[in-house]
Amino acid sequence: MNGTRPIIEISNVYKFFGQLQALNDITLTINAGEKVVIIGPSGSGKSTLLRTINRLESIDSGSIVVNGKDIYARGSDINVIRQELGMVFQNFNLFPHKTVLDNLIMAPMKLKKIPRLEAKKLALNLLDKVGIKDKANVYPSMLSGGQQQRVAIARALAMNPKIMLFDEPTSALDPEMIGEVLDVMVTLANEGMTMVVVTHEMGFAREVADRIIFMDRGQIVEVGTPKQFFTQPEQPRTQKFLSQIL
Amino acid sequence: MTQKGVQTVVKINIGDGAAIPCKKDSGLFTAWWLTFLGAIAIIIYLCVVEPEPYWRILTFLPDGVLVTFQVTVLSIILSLMLGFITGLGRLSRNRVFNLIASTYVEIIRGIPLLVQLFYIYYALGRINLFQNLPPLAAAVVAMGICYGAYMGEVFRAGIQSIDKGQTEAARSLGFSRAQTMMLVILPQAWRTILPPVGNEFIALLKDSSLVSILAVSDLLRRGREFASESFLYFETYTMVALVYLVITLFLSKAVSKMEQRLNYYERD
Repeated sequence: MNGTRPIIEISNVYKFFGQLQALNDITLTINAGEKVVIIGPSGSGKSTLLRTINRLESIDSGSIVVNGKDIYARGSDINVIRQELGMVFQNFNLFPHKTVLDNLIMAPMKLKKIPRLEAKKLALNLLDKVGIKDKANVYPSMLSGGQQQRVAIARALAMNPKIMLFDEPTSALDPEMIGEVLDVMVTLANEGMTMVVVTHEMGFAREVADRIIFMDRGQIVEVGTPKQFFTQPEQPRTQKFLSQIL
Repeated sequence: MTQKGVQTVVKINIGDGAAIPCKKDSGLFTAWWLTFLGAIAIIIYLCVVEPEPYWRILTFLPDGVLVTFQVTVLSIILSLMLGFITGLGRLSRNRVFNLIASTYVEIIRGIPLLVQLFYIYYALGRINLFQNLPPLAAAVVAMGICYGAYMGEVFRAGIQSIDKGQTEAARSLGFSRAQTMMLVILPQAWRTILPPVGNEFIALLKDSSLVSILAVSDLLRRGREFASESFLYFETYTMVALVYLVITLFLSKAVSKMEQRLNYYERD
């Protein structure tokens, strides 16, 4: 991978949902080009952690520096920072009133002032890459779940982000559609994109991750390479979790 | 809607105004057609069989219809503007803005429209600047302020009906709050907002008959003028009622057509 320049630096982050401690002293550094997969039981705080990286959640203390900018600092322009961060959601969240193509060109045109023709060319390339160029002019409701999620990935890529965040991208999909979405993600990983992925797909984690992070009850319990993680987990909680899912 | 991740459209039902016909009952023998054709038939029958006084009444009313439309359209424009601001205010994280909008809604909803009309009309009269305000303008202001509060609730509900994921997706791409509202939320919310707005429009048209007490010569007032001269109360109000009925039915059809067109991106 390309060097060890830290691109996401999470330091001592705490977050509470009322009484519930969602994030408990999280410290984690992710380097440019690294693929990090976060796993853990539901309610462990993994999605919350991912969402704090582009400030979709507030935090109660600590700091998160993305690409050299403290995103929770007063005066930092989150709208600019977010352009560097692509986000893919469990429920796709495509804009249903826009065609697939318009979903892709909207942000580059409005935010980066890219001329329509150029944005369109870029969008069609991306749709080609995710394998649904022929659906450019249909509305999202005409697509299957797998197709919608691939469009959502392309939409995030259209802003040419440095980092891609995936929040359980295959959890809302029918089983036969999971593969097509994971294939796109593997391609992206092989191209050197920095990726942070919350997922239950252990096969993907094993194949793609540089590091696997196991979370439970708002804490990072264990960090390791896929090999270490799946063959010799150190913590009893990790061992218990793996014995339940594998 | 069977696809995961695609929002279902929430219908806001405000039980006022004429029923808006939906796609399902589009046959010839529907309540709408029955009432519409029935009303037209009765008007024609009365005018042909008894042109005196019915035809004379009918030809006396159009001026009033025009004024009724004037009051309705101007009030709806004012109330849409107020409603949009109020709806955003009710959802705003700015405490002051939120409180002002909510208080406005509370006050307006707690006072009968007729009382508001009287009050605003005479209150405006007390302000020097507005002393020579024509009755029509006063009526529009009063109706607009009143319906603005109801519109505000419609806007609020419409905006809230859009899935939070839409906001998150737009914000994640780098859109600001305002851009997200204008480009993503409102274009979708409009579909939810339109039917109740259409309903309010029809309700407002009917309520506009109240402005006849403010010396605005709308449809009802024209009727009263005719009746008090001719003493033909029953005949006049029969005609007035029929004309109102035809207008509101016509409008409810128009709203339902518009509603269907707004659903262009929905899979059937």
